[in-house]
Amino acid sequence: MLNRVPLVRMRSISKAFGPTVAVDGVDLDLLPGEIHGLVGENGAGKSTLMRVLSGFYADYAGELAIDGRAVRILSPGQARALGIGLVHQELSLVPELTVADNIFLGREPSARLPGFINLAAARAQARLLCDELGVYLHPEARVARLSIAERQLVEIAKGVALNPRVLILDEPTSSLTHQEIGRLLDIVRSLAARGMTLVYISHKLDEVFAVAHRITVLRDGKRVATAAVSEWTDATLVQAMVGRDLSSLFPRRRAERGEVRLEVRNLGRTGAFHRVSFAVRSGEVLGLYGLIGSGRTALAEALFGLAPAWDGDILVDGVSVVIRSPRDAIGHGIAMTPEDRRVRGLVPMLPVRTNLSLRALRALSPMGLINGHREYGEVQRMIETLAIRTPSHAVEVSTLSGGNQQKIVIGRWLMIPPKVLILDEPTRGIDVGAKAEVHAIIDRLAGDGLAVLFISSELPEILGMSDRILVMRNGTVAGAFSRQDATEERIMAVAAGVAGEVRAS
Amino acid sequence: MRESDTPTAARIGAAVGALPLRPSLVATLRDYGIYLALAALVVYFAIALPQFRTPDNALLVLLQVSVIGIIAIGMTFTILTAGIDLSVGSLLAVAGMFSGVFAQKDPSAANVLLAFLLPVVIGLLGGAINGVIIAWAGVNPLIVTLGTLTAYRGFVVWYRVNPIYDLQPYYRVVGQGTVGPIPIPAIILLVMAGAAWVVLNYTRYGRYVYVVGGNPEAARAAGIDVPLLKFSVYVISGFCVGVAGLIFTSRLMAAQAISGQGFELQAIAAAVVGGASLFGGRGKITNTIVGALIMGVLFNGLVMLNVPAPIQQMVIGVIIIAAVWLDAVLRQRGY
Repeated sequence: MLNRVPLVRMRSISKAFGPTVAVDGVDLDLLPGEIHGLVGENGAGKSTLMRVLSGFYADYAGELAIDGRAVRILSPGQARALGIGLVHQELSLVPELTVADNIFLGREPSARLPGFINLAAARAQARLLCDELGVYLHPEARVARLSIAERQLVEIAKGVALNPRVLILDEPTSSLTHQEIGRLLDIVRSLAARGMTLVYISHKLDEVFAVAHRITVLRDGKRVATAAVSEWTDATLVQAMVGRDLSSLFPRRRAERGEVRLEVRNLGRTGAFHRVSFAVRSGEVLGLYGLIGSGRTALAEALFGLAPAWDGDILVDGVSVVIRSPRDAIGHGIAMTPEDRRVRGLVPMLPVRTNLSLRALRALSPMGLINGHREYGEVQRMIETLAIRTPSHAVEVSTLSGGNQQKIVIGRWLMIPPKVLILDEPTRGIDVGAKAEVHAIIDRLAGDGLAVLFISSELPEILGMSDRILVMRNGTVAGAFSRQDATEERIMAVAAGVAGEVRAS
Repeated sequence: MRESDTPTAARIGAAVGALPLRPSLVATLRDYGIYLALAALVVYFAIALPQFRTPDNALLVLLQVSVIGIIAIGMTFTILTAGIDLSVGSLLAVAGMFSGVFAQKDPSAANVLLAFLLPVVIGLLGGAINGVIIAWAGVNPLIVTLGTLTAYRGFVVWYRVNPIYDLQPYYRVVGQGTVGPIPIPAIILLVMAGAAWVVLNYTRYGRYVYVVGGNPEAARAAGIDVPLLKFSVYVISGFCVGVAGLIFTSRLMAAQAISGQGFELQAIAAAVVGGASLFGGRGKITNTIVGALIMGVLFNGLVMLNVPAPIQQMVIGVIIIAAVWLDAVLRQRGY
């Protein structure tokens, strides 16, 4: 950080999509060797600004300079030639190809025969790169067989392989576990130490604080502030992002606890989880924490019938039930919002109305004919209850922000309230403001007497929202904490399997 | 439906101020472009060809479109679920053949009933066979119906390779009859299209068809019986084929094992020109019918212009690709 001549200088950058101004006159300097944190709510313009720099939009306004020389970046190829690399928010790998194939996709090392790929060279280079990054990936592994976290690492390796001067990481940790995030941050630091400039876009403020040298906040397409990381605090950063005081990110009030709604005894499915027992009461939020592979999502899928359990019993309101499919689960009053809302939650090309009313259709369509008037009313009521921001009932749900999409997935179940609601990572990839709203919704649902099973990879969230916390490891419940006993350290220790000493206390 | 009356919409409208006209115009074109295309074709031919702009010719086009149009209705259901039914042409021949067998016999009540009912039953049966394999055995619809396209055709040729021509006179009423000036096939087409429109737009079942096509995983998680729904759309397709087979045989007054070859492609073309997405979840029954009409009008007009048949085929091929390309371009631009 000795050299203060900016590597990239952006002045009055603007970009509009039709009538929507996504980026509005932003000035930003990127210094050589710095890690620049870029934060803001969804739709604040972070990704758009960085896509301008990466040459995705030829029709931007404003001035760009690299090394003090003015340039207009009109294509991704040109950006790449200028040394600007972007690791996408969404995974863009070809699942049927290998790690090495993906890393060198589009610029495979040539063999002597024209048109042929030098596979050995590609593999060797990929291995070297992975070693350098400290990533344990086999270059010949097919990407389809990798976990989401591993794919994210391939994605990053792909960006680093271009050896760019500026590497933009857009939400690189959205699907990583705690440990994996730690490793990724180390990689980011080592790249910066080598002189690379990094832009780090993330919703997770603790990560940004941990890794960034300077932080810029965008809001509504405008730059609010840029300052060294030492000048920011959690509170000032969040306030800058949302433009209001966000005192209650975890608005959990104590709800009246009622009867046991859902009880599980010795539940198991070979290879996924085993001997899991617990109970959730009406009005209670039971947090479920575990690292990826701990079996927590498999457990949730068993309770909802997506991948039924083989052993053990599930009791709803004290009555033993058989759950072989989501239909069975729904019939017994169990609802679930999935980990990946795009895969299992939403029908992206269908309108908000259809996505919201899906579960309630049976009630809204006596004799199979949909009562359009009632449907409209119910949908409108849910949009207002959950404060879903959508221009109309008829827009395609894929056009909404992540937070609003998540509210629609939750809202679908609330149209006909269940007894038990399983929320699997309900706040993944949504911004701070929407997160607080989802938390408020969870609190209200518990207050209304629902039993909530709340799965999250974010410890502060689990701690802030849960009445009790179960920690899973190696497919079974490794520990249980009351709200008072739980701390981040204790939960992490149990989840990571180093809990002997901690639990003895 | 009722949109733009929410407070949010008002707020956004106010924030944006006077919206530029262009995007909304293009969006309108995208939604109604297919109607404009049909209108443009009709106007062009009507000006260029005096014999095109007669009421008789309009009715002829309707008559010609009805068989493919009815098949295309069923096809739209399968395409909406991200499936396809290639077996329709072959199944039509099977249905028509068995109808013809009984239409040839003396017109006793039983024979008349069988001549009219059997093709529909066979259509339902053929569709059910497709549906069972696709829904519960989980084989790709393209493969399954490619298989039954061949198998159904083989079956009908094996059953009776010689055409049946001497059908009883009563039998012509379905394919050649009229109500006032309007051909009965056209009326059947309109009634079935209307029914399909109601089902897809106003019933729970129709909504589920879109959802299953749009995201089968989400459909399952919402408690929808996905296999049963997939099965049902092939039964609907088979039903449409059965009705079309009856009309086709009656109109020709002949049952032939070679009937219906290539109909699957014409029906798919009608749906796709009408904007249905082969990936499922997107498509409208009204647009499918307009798609079928566009193809019918083109064919009719090109014949009158004395365009040779091979050239007609080339023109229609280019139009199919152009229509889908334009649709994709507009969608990509976010209209």
